[in-house]
Amino acid sequence: MAAEEAASGAAHHGGGLAIDPMHQFRIETIFPIHIGGVDASFTNSALWMIIAAGLITLLTVVGMGKRSLVPGRLQSVAELSYEFVANMLRDNVGDAGKRFFPLVFTIFMFVLFTNMLGMVPYSFTVTSHIIVTFALASFIFLGVTFVGFAVHGWHYFGLIVPKGVPAVMLPLLVVIELISYLTRPISLSVRLFANMMAGHTMLKVFAGFVIAMGWYGGFLPLAFMVAFTGLEILVAFLQAYVFAILTCIYLNDALHMH
Amino acid sequence: MGIAFRLSTELVAGVFVGGGIGLLLDKWLGTGPLFLLIFFFLGMAAGILNVFRTAKQLAVQAEQDAGNGNSGTKS
Repeated sequence: MAAEEAASGAAHHGGGLAIDPMHQFRIETIFPIHIGGVDASFTNSALWMIIAAGLITLLTVVGMGKRSLVPGRLQSVAELSYEFVANMLRDNVGDAGKRFFPLVFTIFMFVLFTNMLGMVPYSFTVTSHIIVTFALASFIFLGVTFVGFAVHGWHYFGLIVPKGVPAVMLPLLVVIELISYLTRPISLSVRLFANMMAGHTMLKVFAGFVIAMGWYGGFLPLAFMVAFTGLEILVAFLQAYVFAILTCIYLNDALHMH
Repeated sequence: MGIAFRLSTELVAGVFVGGGIGLLLDKWLGTGPLFLLIFFFLGMAAGILNVFRTAKQLAVQAEQDAGNGNSGTKS
């Protein structure tokens, strides 16, 4: 499926060997919108975000519409994803985390759907742009920090003061702990972005090999790509899972300071 | 692969954040590369601390999974 996508994409954009594997990440404007000199155009990235949000709404609203005791296919999927996130939250945060279920569910479903939609031929992978993942991660970071201060007040600063340390070492360790705390949004966003971009670039590069090696040699990279597409779907799920579970872990830190 | 990638991003992010804070302080105070150097090393220390913590937490998780007898989907 993605093999066809990539192969036809490569053939489409460059004749022969002049294939640009990064073309897929280009932002294209659909409706130009300018508000006070700021470019707020509706782009293909925005379009795929809206498609993802629409599909999630469709799944949850239509899937749970009937509320039958014996769930149908769509209702099963909706219930499964609900229980998956609810269990994750209970295991990692405990009962105090129940309040944050809507947040974690939204984040998990959005990342999962944008990752998975990226695997559809001719689509655009929203999460392969670092600004998107960084915006998500900094939203989580700021939200979690806010929750920490709201629950613990000024005691929340105790998170960056290690216990049982001689007073001489304390300033140094506080700075290190502070940096360690500030790395959270960076590592969270870079992980998702790098995984998605590397995978999709790799698919396109190998698709280029299929074209370049022609009818006789091209089947080898094609076979590899079929396997690699499977791996990419796994990565798409795994990265959404990791993103959500780290949100849970950060929430746990904020709610029950260690 | 998931675990390895997670650990390496933690390490790199520490260095980047440390270096970034150093650069900003230098720009603000106009003190040559002094703070960049200091915070670069502090960032490395923070990165290593993060890797250590993540590894410890993954080990606890693996132990729990083994204890429960389910192989789980934990990465």
